[in-house]
Amino acid sequence: MAGTPSNHPSMFKNPVLNWVNDRFPLTALLKTSVTDYYAPKNFNFWYYFGSLALLVLVLQIVTGIFLTMNYKPDAAYAFGSVEYIMRDVDYGWLIRYMHSTGASMFFVVVYLHMCRGLMYGSYRQPRELTWIFGMLIYLCLMAEAFFGYLLPWGQMSFWGAQVIVNIFSAIPFIGPELAVWIRGDYSIGDATLNRFFAFHVIALPLVLLGLVAAHLIALHETGSNNPDGVEINKGPKGNAWSKDAPADGIPFHPYYTVKDIFGVVVFLMIFTAIVFFLPEMGGYFLEYNNFVPADPLKTPAHIAPVWYFTPYYSILRAVPPMFGSQFPGVIGMGLSVMIFFALPWLDRGAVKSIRYRGNLYKAFFAMFIVCFIVLGYLGVKPTSVWGQFGDWASFLDTRDIATWGARVLTIGYFAFFFLMPWYTKADKTKPEPARVTMH
Amino acid sequence: MKIKSLLASLALVTVSAFAPSAFASGGPEVKFVGPSASSTDLESLQRGARLFVNYCVNCHSAQYMRYNRLSDLKLSEDQIKQNLMFTTDKIGDTMKAAITLNDAKEWFGAAPPDLSVMARSYSAAAISGSTDDPAATLAAYLRGFYQDDSRDTGWNNLVSPNIGMPHALHELSGTNKLVETVFAADGKEIKDDHAAEAKARGAFIAATTMSSFEHHSEKKDGKTVNHYVVKSLVNAAPGSMTPVQFDAAIADLVNFMSYVAEPHKAKRIQIGILMMFLLAFLLAASVWLKKEYWKDVH
Repeated sequence: MAGTPSNHPSMFKNPVLNWVNDRFPLTALLKTSVTDYYAPKNFNFWYYFGSLALLVLVLQIVTGIFLTMNYKPDAAYAFGSVEYIMRDVDYGWLIRYMHSTGASMFFVVVYLHMCRGLMYGSYRQPRELTWIFGMLIYLCLMAEAFFGYLLPWGQMSFWGAQVIVNIFSAIPFIGPELAVWIRGDYSIGDATLNRFFAFHVIALPLVLLGLVAAHLIALHETGSNNPDGVEINKGPKGNAWSKDAPADGIPFHPYYTVKDIFGVVVFLMIFTAIVFFLPEMGGYFLEYNNFVPADPLKTPAHIAPVWYFTPYYSILRAVPPMFGSQFPGVIGMGLSVMIFFALPWLDRGAVKSIRYRGNLYKAFFAMFIVCFIVLGYLGVKPTSVWGQFGDWASFLDTRDIATWGARVLTIGYFAFFFLMPWYTKADKTKPEPARVTMH
Repeated sequence: MKIKSLLASLALVTVSAFAPSAFASGGPEVKFVGPSASSTDLESLQRGARLFVNYCVNCHSAQYMRYNRLSDLKLSEDQIKQNLMFTTDKIGDTMKAAITLNDAKEWFGAAPPDLSVMARSYSAAAISGSTDDPAATLAAYLRGFYQDDSRDTGWNNLVSPNIGMPHALHELSGTNKLVETVFAADGKEIKDDHAAEAKARGAFIAATTMSSFEHHSEKKDGKTVNHYVVKSLVNAAPGSMTPVQFDAAIADLVNFMSYVAEPHKAKRIQIGILMMFLLAFLLAASVWLKKEYWKDVH
């Protein structure tokens, strides 16, 4: 194998490295993906969450492997095997808390990562595929979390799964059979637990890893966006490291690797504080009711999904049944997740970054964030949380103020997407700078 | 920076949405004022263990809790065997109930739940607007029993009304009776609703350490009529303990049950503190490393 002398890898002093490089493009891969990958030099706080998501993924896989060594996917033993891990397995409690905290922190990190994408227009041309792969990761993660949540076989595991699978039975015609097909039983049972275990520990992690690879390959093809939303590849060339590289780019390694190490340590401090001091996180990461073994005969008074699903769950509850069917709510919920896929084509703004957008866009964006968070809050609570309207409201289908609140917020949520082609175009944007800015 | 002010205003709007509504309706509010015991107080945990094996394990199991784990509480195997093991003679066994499941079902209508993780889960649906801490709710429940001859067991509970469990600790606490005061807004006593509610709340606050406040509204001739009910417990026949001693005993028992629910908690917190120091050191190192490298960029 002959290459050009300047680029040929077998020029290293280390003979082992040369031997490998002659047979596998190790150095070349490292070059294209880290040492010679030029990222914009103006990344800010919001750019930590991509690498953190990768970290949490690794944590979940490693802790998950150790959990499977003692967990029993059997309706008669599952709850007990988790308690066995918590008590009798050496440091089993630590592994379990890391896994349960990791699940929630995965969503914290991913939501912040997605918020970054929204703010700086990272989903837009030419990064549409990176965004789509990212969205597929998000969907996969939701499924992974849902399947995993059944495994401890507590009351919330059981009834949460019951509620979610019943959502499918609202689909006209095929719904009830579909729900039975998913469960493998007429109710959540041992067969359901076994298949969810299979999906959780192997099927979805495989898909997830493949999608993460695709997400990164697509990103490295286009190069990273940045808080200014301008393309460094279109700017002037030549920097301290290479005369062909973008002037505003810096090598990912070592500059962003050392920066991300700082981010990782800060993240680990938060993560560690939760794992060791607040593993239940006030009932949001580990629900109190899930310390009660699943009982198909005893419905809990209040069933709420885990916090990361609650914005969508709120939308499901907010849409009133039509023609005696809950299906419209299901459509609303499905659409509220899927609509993110369309973002690259809904946004017609002249600029990418929120820094140069006008007040119209900022108002819609702020409204969307408020809607998402308050819907999430309402989804945790019973619909009576904000009290009821007085007697004058008896003509309404429900007098629960929170349900009406959720309806208004649902409209706000969808307005952000459906009106986007209009307001991004009508928005009075500021001129983008020619080069990235450092603050 | 513009984005920062935008985020700040966002935070403000979202936080205000979470402010609890003054008119949140729901079940009764339960007030519980009582002592609590420290999870590091070994003597309290040992007293709690004694109460637990003497009064709870008769009917309830703690099937994930092994007797030999009680050595965490600085008890020797002999001490455990002689003082705390009544249902087995193998120290590695888990805590099994003295009665059989079928007997229990027959006597109480339902199998007494396993108590291994009860202190982490206990959330009586009845308690809203009260505390969210399962252990505190459990303490309130254990103190909430009162005599009620309309029930099969002869007992009822302020926190979990009509529960099947009898008052297992009554020889310690003696017998409590329920005192109910109804404040109605429809009659002669009080003219407007707010005064009735205020008076009821006043009584709720002034009531004994264990009380509940309920709000009922019903329609009468097209008008909404509100009733406010304050229920509190009064000691009718003394037990072997004074009320103060009994409250302390409940605190010990709940302390022990919290320990049983998560035996490694103390170790967890210890390791956590060490980890935080280690990470603080790593944080300093990572800040220095980043600054050193980024000198070239700035």
